Amino acid sequence: MQTYKAPLRDMKFVLHELMNDAPLPGHEEFTPELVESILEEAGKFCAEQLLPLNASGDLEGCAIENGVVRTPAGFKAAYDAFNEGGWGGLEAAVEFGGQGAPATLAKLVEEMICATNISFGMYPGLTQGAVRALEIHGTDEQKALYLPKMISGQWSGTMCLTEPHCGTDLGLVRTKAVAQADGSYRITGAKIFISAGEHDLSENIIHLVLARLPDAPAGIKGISLFVVPKFLPDADGEAGGGNGVSCAAIEHKLGIKASSTCQMNFDEAQGWLVGQPNRGMQAMFVMMNAARLGVATQGLGIAEAAYQGAVLYAKERLQGRALSGAKYPEKAADPIIVHPDVRRMLLTMRAYVEGSRALGAWVARRLDEANHEPDPARRAEAEEFVALLTPVVKAFFTDAGFECASLAVQTYGGHGYIRDHGMEQLLRDARIAMIYEGTNGVQALDLVGRKMPANFGRSLRRFFHPVAEFIDANKDHPILGRAVGGFGRAFGALQLATFFIAEKALSDAEEAGAAATDYLRLFGLVALGFMWLKMMKLALEKLPDAGADAPFYQAKLSTGRFYLERMLPQVGSLLAVIKAGKGALMEMPEELF
Amino acid sequence: MAVFNKIAVIGAGTMGAQIAAHCANAGAEVLLLDIVPQGAGNRNALAEGALAKLRKTEPAAFMSDEAVRRVSVGNIEDDLWKLAESDWIVEAIIERLDLKQALYAKIDGVMKDGAVVSSNTSTIPLSALTHGLSERFRRGFCITHFFNPPRYMRLLELVTAPETDAARADDLARFIDVRLGKSVVRAKDSPGFIANRLGVYWLQGAVVEAVKAGLDVEVADALIGRPFGIPKTGVFGLVDLVGLDLMPHINASLAATLPEGDAFHALNVKLPVIETMIAEGYTGRKGKGGFYRRGPNKAREAIDLVSGAYRAVRKPNVAEAKARDLKSIFDGTTPEARYAATVMGRTLAYAASLIPSAAERITDIDEAMKLGYNWALGPFELIDKLGAGWFADWLTREGLAVPPVLDAARGKRFYEVKDGRLFALQDGTLTPVTRPEGVLLLADIKRATRPILKNPSAALWDIGDGVECFEFTSKSNSLDLAIMELLGQAIARKPRGLVIHNEGRNFSVGANLGLAILAANVAAWSEIEKLIKTGQETYKALKYAPFPVVAAPSGMALGGGCEILLHSDAIQAHAELYAGLVEAGVGLIPGWGGCKEMLARYLASPRLPKGPMPAPVKVFEMISTAYVSKSAAQAQKALILRDGDEVTMNRDRLLHDAKQKALKLAEHYTPPAPPIFRLPGDAGATAFEMAVRDFHAKGMATDYDVVVAGELGGILSGGTADPTGEVDEDFVLGLERAAFMRLVKREGTLARIEHMLTTGKPLRN
Repeated sequence: MQTYKAPLRDMKFVLHELMNDAPLPGHEEFTPELVESILEEAGKFCAEQLLPLNASGDLEGCAIENGVVRTPAGFKAAYDAFNEGGWGGLEAAVEFGGQGAPATLAKLVEEMICATNISFGMYPGLTQGAVRALEIHGTDEQKALYLPKMISGQWSGTMCLTEPHCGTDLGLVRTKAVAQADGSYRITGAKIFISAGEHDLSENIIHLVLARLPDAPAGIKGISLFVVPKFLPDADGEAGGGNGVSCAAIEHKLGIKASSTCQMNFDEAQGWLVGQPNRGMQAMFVMMNAARLGVATQGLGIAEAAYQGAVLYAKERLQGRALSGAKYPEKAADPIIVHPDVRRMLLTMRAYVEGSRALGAWVARRLDEANHEPDPARRAEAEEFVALLTPVVKAFFTDAGFECASLAVQTYGGHGYIRDHGMEQLLRDARIAMIYEGTNGVQALDLVGRKMPANFGRSLRRFFHPVAEFIDANKDHPILGRAVGGFGRAFGALQLATFFIAEKALSDAEEAGAAATDYLRLFGLVALGFMWLKMMKLALEKLPDAGADAPFYQAKLSTGRFYLERMLPQVGSLLAVIKAGKGALMEMPEELF
Repeated sequence: MAVFNKIAVIGAGTMGAQIAAHCANAGAEVLLLDIVPQGAGNRNALAEGALAKLRKTEPAAFMSDEAVRRVSVGNIEDDLWKLAESDWIVEAIIERLDLKQALYAKIDGVMKDGAVVSSNTSTIPLSALTHGLSERFRRGFCITHFFNPPRYMRLLELVTAPETDAARADDLARFIDVRLGKSVVRAKDSPGFIANRLGVYWLQGAVVEAVKAGLDVEVADALIGRPFGIPKTGVFGLVDLVGLDLMPHINASLAATLPEGDAFHALNVKLPVIETMIAEGYTGRKGKGGFYRRGPNKAREAIDLVSGAYRAVRKPNVAEAKARDLKSIFDGTTPEARYAATVMGRTLAYAASLIPSAAERITDIDEAMKLGYNWALGPFELIDKLGAGWFADWLTREGLAVPPVLDAARGKRFYEVKDGRLFALQDGTLTPVTRPEGVLLLADIKRATRPILKNPSAALWDIGDGVECFEFTSKSNSLDLAIMELLGQAIARKPRGLVIHNEGRNFSVGANLGLAILAANVAAWSEIEKLIKTGQETYKALKYAPFPVVAAPSGMALGGGCEILLHSDAIQAHAELYAGLVEAGVGLIPGWGGCKEMLARYLASPRLPKGPMPAPVKVFEMISTAYVSKSAAQAQKALILRDGDEVTMNRDRLLHDAKQKALKLAEHYTPPAPPIFRLPGDAGATAFEMAVRDFHAKGMATDYDVVVAGELGGILSGGTADPTGEVDEDFVLGLERAAFMRLVKREGTLARIEHMLTTGKPLRN
């Protein structure tokens, strides 16, 4: 059976101790007290309402009958309760009925949802992406018509990008949009892999659809974005008559079975342009970037759930004796947590989870600054940081999520492989996060091919400078000095790799492509190392006066040490691999495969 | 060498006036005359006005104020008698045969025996000019066809007649080569001579075909530009520069003198779209704009050749414009490939047809197009890329005539390198390409030998007599760690003398900023500090090496490229030297000893008042404003060049002169004594700070200028140096390094570097 307890202490640590910057402009009402009570409520909701539906939803899955998709038992009630609690609009604008919470807070709530029921999270998650795109690119009329109902959850949303012949390369989109005399468009085409494309949770579904105008230029510059409701709003703005939108089938998948993944047909469906003609990708990128950070959070949520499950079992499961002799002679056997290798697995998970949570919070904080800072220069710097780190956290967190789920299965042994404990579900559910919203390979290409070279590497500065300053300021730290020195060498490896790729890529883009995935991982490892050192420094400062909190800080120090000594050194081999270049990858002729 | 110390230029129009200025640049006493304007109170008004205008011309016609003072003005009536003293009289009046002949008769009456008279005509045949004049006059007469602007364009076409005194013509040619710095190409007395004959044919053909094909002008320029090694202004950009309104006149005068059956006549057609443009005042850059213009809100616009309407400039995206293999363009079937092949194929064939009527040698034609039109390769070098036989076959397939020179070259190349020497096809046989005495080209050495040392950014060459030449080979000759490493190795070889020289467009644009900003963005501070320290140490080693080092720069020598000059024993500068410590423009200070060396130069200058403050003040002015000389003469004024440094007018002669200088210095060489600095200390720094704050308050310095100037003031005043004490050069180098490292970490500096890399212009933040 799956269990979950929201890691509130660590979340508060990250929010209020690690990120103790000045309060965000525009978010002054979110006092630490309010934030803590929201987190507590969210944790309760997720543990009590969403977690119980996770395994059952996986077992039952979604079903389609005559084009109508039925979600698993209990989902509708949970969805209503979710909206009742206002969770769907947590981050959305106040003027349209949202709570206007900062991303820093919302990402932690999202983590809880993903840890307890990632399938359920898909439905409001997709809606939030659509809301964000309409907030930024929609007309006032569109906003007034759609946003309040979507934010309240009465209506839900989707992103319709993928078609049978195009996923990563959206320039190939064929779905057509033909202008009508009344200013609307008729949309015709087939879309696949549409999450939440059809379901029974909301009374209307608002599709954001990429399509091509008849005179559009070929490729990615000829794509426009349209809003296409399942039911056309009537004069009162309520869901009215049907539109030419139908669900032909749902996919049978490895995981997230309670999330309906639909093949959608648009047959002369009525839609309206969002943003400028042929500028759909710009509008879509707003959704995709938000969605990539959302998927990163899914990786983190799964990792947390896996860790909690594994710890529970490692402490309970009695089997054999410790290598140094019995630790619990009174028991029939020692719990398996006494074993170094089991501890390796548990600490790996924990180091990923807490390091990623801290890094995710840093990104979220900068995202909030990008959206709310009054000073345009600071806003731009924050945007550059978020742009740089988005592919890193998407790929690194989701890789870590899958790795942690796998380690959890391993900790359970045979009991992890069977269904009863829910670990195999985590493994299956985690897998998709490495694929959708741009595969992790595409994230790595985005990092080396777009983010790194843009503006002569300006966005790199937003990450590298604070790290270098920290190393410089703490290299003589009485306790952490040596660790900082070791981390400095890892940071040096990242600098070297960056130089290597930047120089090579100038003459040969394939070199950058060959290094991309290893570079992203190297980047992620160093970023986590930075967060760990910051957390350890803080823990050392807090420890003397921590009182009952002392164990929390002790654990931080131990986990941090584990990360720095046993995980971070991977950067050495990654650098060696990167410097090996593309030769070994490209040598073998295609026909020999 | 025969001297032409007194030169008269008659006709103070744009060309005449600028020829006069350039003769003054060469050190001659120049008399500039024009007619007496009707009813004028001031009889010298025309020449005086021209001189006044000349001083404000951009790019500058004069290299120095001294050159300005060498020009005196007058009028052709009152001052005619002065021509009796002239060694060379240049006629540059309006292109009218009757007026020219009337003038020549007057000149003939006063000129001294042995003087040369030349015309700057571009259209009138020599035979017509001298028709009916005295034999004495005819023996001393030739055509010297300068290109606009005369100071900067390196080509001069010299046309002589059979009766011209050959020795006198040779003397003049040598003077023009050595003293005016021009490459003299001997042209036949045929219409348009060489460069304009071919250039006008090429431009007119390119315009006519583009209009016919309805191509975008941007596409036409891209097609004719890069693939053929032609400047990216291409065709329409160049016509904008020349002036659209001039084109019909040039075409008409050429058509009037060209023989019937010349291929030019077929292209000389009226183009309504261009006639309309001229009528509406769109005559090019000097008018409201031309094929390109700045539209409303300063946006760049281009004309649509079909509709005649302006529209936003479009980035051309045609595969052929990126082609590396010229054959693929000539074989291509797209409208773009057909356009490029038609225009360039005809032009190359026309070039081949000009031998021997317009030029004796293929090298003359190639030289004329390379220097007169800035082509990277001459027509025959381009034909070699295609293969003479292949190109002849192509012409046949196109139904075009194959010129005899080309037909005879089937199966051969126009140029070949044998045993490291360059040969050109002349009258059917390969003939060695010879250089005039005193010309030493690194290109020739590179053909003949292998480098002594080499890495991706630099190379070291043996240029004979124990002297070695250090060449930058990086992009734009930007400086990096690899250059410093190879320079260190070159110094360790202890040659008899070392010359630092290259034949790039610019000597060096300074440190590689692209690498620097990447290093700064990833906070690779220790790498940056290493680069600074290595540069300082290498330049210092260069300075104190046990052999003489002569830097021989041409074009830009900026930042680190200027600092290497400052560390050399001597500079043999090309007259066109644009040197300066421009680091402040990118938010930095000179970190490779530039502050130190300029301080040492000004401290040693007898022209400055004594005391610790005057020298730092001068250096502060220079570096904080990112001063760049506009000539070698100006660099001398700014003390970038010292007494004993010399100037070479013709850049082909630069390496030879530098080598000779190195050999001379090597005779009794001792390394320089290290300088001792007496600097003002804190009080000086405070004075600089106050001055900068004052500039800032007056809006003459930006916020970030204040930061950069503050660091600079700190170095130049010697930091906390005791004003009565002395510091050594390592101390000043330490100040440079520390200030550089502080600046390179700042957002303001990185924004400036990024802006420079993106736009090529300094950011005023």
